[in-house]
Amino acid sequence: MKTSRQPNIQLNEDPREILGVPPDAGDERIRNAYLQKVKEHPPDREPATFERIRDAYEVLRDPRRRALHMFLSADPRAPLVSLLPASSQERKFTGADPWLAVLREK
Amino acid sequence: MKYNQETRLPRPSVHGTGAGVPIPQEENVRALLAKGKTKPAVELAREIHKRCGWPETEVLLVDAYAARIRSLLKTGLKEEAKALFELVHKRYSSAAARLADVGVLVSASSGNLEELLRPLNDPAVLPEIRRAIACVVKGQVCDLSALAECRSLTADHPLRTAAAALLRAFAAVTAGPVEESALVLPEVSHRGPLASWKILVRAIAYFYQQDDAACERCLGIIDPDSAPARLIPALRTMLHTNSGQRLAPAAESLMALVCGSKVSLRRALQALDSAFQTRLQDKILPEIQRAVAACEVAYPQLLERLRQHISVRALDLDLPTRKVRAALGGASIKNAYFWRLYARSVESSDEPLELLICAQWEQFRRHAVAEGWFREKGSEAAALYLHMAEVLLEVPAEALERERSKFAARFSGFQDYYEDQPPVIREVQAKYKKSDLYFLSPSQLFERACAIDPHREAFERWLNWAKQESDGRVADQVAERWHRALPLHSQPLLYLMESAEKRGALNRATAFLAQAQKLDAVNPEVRRAALRLLVAQTGRHLQQRKPHLVEQDVAALEALPQAQLADRPAFLAALRWAGAVVRGDAELASRFFGQIGRVLGSSAAAILACENAGALGRLTRADFDRHVPQVSLDPRDSLVVATARVCALGDDLGAPFTIPTAWHARLWQELTNAHGELERWQLEMLGKAALRTNQKELAYAASGAGLEMGGDQEARFLLLRARALPEWEFERRDDCIVATVELGRRRGDMAIINEAIELRRGHRNAMSKFLDWLVSEDWQDFSMTTEQIHAVLQHEKHSRAFPRHAPLRVSFRETVFLDDQELEKDDAPCTLDDSNQLVPQMGQPREKRPKRIRRDLPGQGDLF
Repeated sequence: MKTSRQPNIQLNEDPREILGVPPDAGDERIRNAYLQKVKEHPPDREPATFERIRDAYEVLRDPRRRALHMFLSADPRAPLVSLLPASSQERKFTGADPWLAVLREK
Repeated sequence: MKYNQETRLPRPSVHGTGAGVPIPQEENVRALLAKGKTKPAVELAREIHKRCGWPETEVLLVDAYAARIRSLLKTGLKEEAKALFELVHKRYSSAAARLADVGVLVSASSGNLEELLRPLNDPAVLPEIRRAIACVVKGQVCDLSALAECRSLTADHPLRTAAAALLRAFAAVTAGPVEESALVLPEVSHRGPLASWKILVRAIAYFYQQDDAACERCLGIIDPDSAPARLIPALRTMLHTNSGQRLAPAAESLMALVCGSKVSLRRALQALDSAFQTRLQDKILPEIQRAVAACEVAYPQLLERLRQHISVRALDLDLPTRKVRAALGGASIKNAYFWRLYARSVESSDEPLELLICAQWEQFRRHAVAEGWFREKGSEAAALYLHMAEVLLEVPAEALERERSKFAARFSGFQDYYEDQPPVIREVQAKYKKSDLYFLSPSQLFERACAIDPHREAFERWLNWAKQESDGRVADQVAERWHRALPLHSQPLLYLMESAEKRGALNRATAFLAQAQKLDAVNPEVRRAALRLLVAQTGRHLQQRKPHLVEQDVAALEALPQAQLADRPAFLAALRWAGAVVRGDAELASRFFGQIGRVLGSSAAAILACENAGALGRLTRADFDRHVPQVSLDPRDSLVVATARVCALGDDLGAPFTIPTAWHARLWQELTNAHGELERWQLEMLGKAALRTNQKELAYAASGAGLEMGGDQEARFLLLRARALPEWEFERRDDCIVATVELGRRRGDMAIINEAIELRRGHRNAMSKFLDWLVSEDWQDFSMTTEQIHAVLQHEKHSRAFPRHAPLRVSFRETVFLDDQELEKDDAPCTLDDSNQLVPQMGQPREKRPKRIRRDLPGQGDLF
C-alpha cells in the first residue's frame, strides 16, 4: 500500500504541541520529551513522523530560535482552513451503504 | 412551425424501387430530430409516409418514433413511451430491427433487470441490442448486488462475475484499509460496461489512503456518463477540490459520516477566505457569520482562535468595527495570541508602521508573560526586545524622534481594544503604566535585551546602532557594557581602543589593546590593531618632536611579525625618515628615503610615503622640501600606480594618505588615458583617497576609468561616481545609486547594496528638510530595468568631463510646486553632453510605487 509522506513542521505549527511539552518547559524537559517521542516513533519505522519530531526539537533546543519561531510563526494571512488541525483530515470508514446511496439518489 | 399539408408529391414510376430516389423533406425531418424536436419530426415524417408510402419513408417514420420514445423516457414518461413502442412495433414491419435498442431502454425503464438482461442469453441476439444493454448497464445500473444475482443470466456470465467481484471490492475499500491486490479485479474488463466501477473502487481506496492526487487522477478518467460518475462531486468535495458546489442530501450525509461535521466548517472557511480576497464588505460579513456558526457546531474549541484571525483580517481591511463584531457574535479575546497575530499582520503589510508594530509587540509581551508563554526576564523576552529594536531601526534616525513625539501624543494605549474583554485580560492591561513608552527607544530595547540575555550578536547590534549616533560617547558606553557583561570578548576592547585613539587618548588606547592581546593575541583584528596603534603613537611622538621615542616606537613596530608583511617596511622607513628630519639629520633622512624607494620601486611612491609620514608627524613644508631630494619623475613611472600603492599602505596602517594637489594634473591625464591599463584596485584606492580630501574631480576621473573597464566591478565604480558627483547633480547621483543597487542585487553583492543604500540614506538625510517632497516618490524606489541600467552606465562612461557648473534650473523650492513633467522638461536641456542621445532614456521616470497610505493609530475606534 502506498504511504503518503507527512509534511515536516510548518511555521504555523506549534513545536511544543508536537513534542507534547507545556509552554514553560525548560531545556531538560524538552530534551526528555524529544527522546521519548523518538522512542515512540523511531526513524526506521515512521520516518515522516520522526522528521517532524526532529524539526520540532531543532526549533525548541535553541532558546533564541525558539523565541523567534514563537514570534514569527503567526501568519495572519494564512488561509483560515489552516487553523483546522491535521486530525480534522481524518476519513472514517463507513461501509458501502452511504456510498451506494449517493449513486442511487436521483 | 406550420407545414403545408396541401403539397402533392410525385410518385416514382416503379413502386418499391425508390433506391436513389430522394425522399421529399427528409432533411427537414432529420434537422428537427437533430434539434431534439421529436414531436414535429414525427408529425412531418407521418405526413410524408402518408403521401408516399415507400419503405424508405417508413424507415424515416420509425426513426422519428424511436427518437420520440427516447425523449419520452428521458422526461420520465415511461408508460407513454412503452405504449408508443408497442404501437409502432405492431404497425410497422421495419420496426423490429430499428427499434431493438429502444426496446431495451423501454425494458430498462420498468426497472426490471431480469427482463433487461434476458436477451443476452440468446447467442443470436442482435449486436445493436447487445450494445444497447451494455449502454444501459454502464449508465443506469447502480445496484451491483442485483446485477451479481440476476437469474436471467447464467451464473458464470461475465457480467455477474464482474458485478460480484466489484461488490466485494467496494465493500472492502469502504470498510477498512485494503491491499493493492484487492484492487486488481481481473474479473472486470477494462472495456466492459462496469469498467468505471473498477476505477471508482480504486479512487475510494486512494481517498482513504490520503493519496489525494492519485484519487483525483482516477476521478478524472471515470466515464462521466457512467453510473459511478455520480459519486465524483462528493469525492471531490471531500478532497477539498470543489468547495462551492451544492450537493444532494445523500452526498452531504456521506460527507458527514466520512469526514465528520468539520467538512462543512472547512467549506465555510474556504468560502470566507474567498470573500476576504474580494475585499467587499457585503460578501465578507455574511461569510463570517456562516463560518462562525459552522465552527460553533463542528469545532467549538477552535471558535475563539477563528474569531481572532477574522478580527485581524478585518482590521487589515479597515472593515466597520461594529458590523464585524456583530457578525462574529462578540468581540474576540485580546490575549497574547491576538496581539502577536495583529503585530505580524501590520509587520507584513505593504506599508508597515514601525512604531505601531512595536506598541503591538509590547502588548503581546505583556499578555504572553501573564499567560505564561515565557518569563518576564526569559531569553524569549530578550529576543522580542531585539526584534522590536530592529523594527524601529527601519525608521531613519533623524525621523525617529519626530515620529516618536507624534505617536506618543496620539497613542491611547489600545484602550478601546479592551472594551468587552474578560476581567483577566483587562487586568493585564491595567497593570502597566500608559506613559512608559520605552518600546519606542532602540537604546532602551537593546539595553533590556542585553541585560536579560547578554550575547555577542545582541551587543554587536546595539553597538552598530550606537555607532550611528551623533554622540560618540553612546557607543563607548555600549562597548563598556559589553565588556562588563562578557569580559572574554575582545571586540568591545578593540572598539574602545579605536575610540580612545581617535580622541588622542593613546595611553588609554594602549591599555585597551593590552587587555585585548591578553584575551586573544592571535586574533588578526587584535594584531592589526596593535600595528595601527603603534603607528598612531609614533605620529604623536613625531608631533611632540621626540625623535628618541619615535625610534623606540619604530623598533617596537619592527618587532611585530605583522610589520614585516607586504609594503609595511616601507612605511616604517618613512617614519624613520620623519624621525631623522625632526633630528635634522639630512644624511640619515636621505638614506631612509632611498630605502623607501627601493621597497616601493618608485621614487614617486617614496615621495608620497615621506610626505604622508611627515603629515602624520606634522612636519613643516620647509622640513619636507629640505629632506626630500628633487627628483624628476620618470615619464614612464605611473603616478597612479605609485599613489594607489601608497594609499593602500596608508589604509592598511590606519593612517589614511592624502594626494598632493600638485599631482592632480598628471594623475588626471593618466586616468583619462588609462584605456584599461590600470588595475581595478588601484583605481578604487585612488578614488577613495581623492574623496577623503574632497578631490572629487580626481575621484570622478578614477570612476570613469573604472567604468570603462566594464566587468563585475561596474557597480563599485558607479558608486564611486555617485560619491564624486557634486551636490547639485542629485538626480544623476540618484540614478547611479539605484543602478548600483540593482547591479549588486543581480550579482548577489550585499556589501555594495548596503553601501549604496547608506549613501542614499545619508544624502537624503542631509537634505531631508529641503527635499521632503521626494520621500514618497522616486526617492524610495530602488528598482531599475536592464535598459535603464544600461542607459545609466553608458551615460556615465561617456560623461568624461567633470560637471563644474550647476545648470540653470528652477530652484528646489520652486520645483516643489511643479508637477513631475514640468520638472523633467526643466532638467532635459541641462544634461547635454557628448552622449546626449542617451539623455531622453535617462529622463524616463522609473515605475513608481503606490503612495503610502497613512492609517490611523490604534485605539481610534478599530476594535472587534
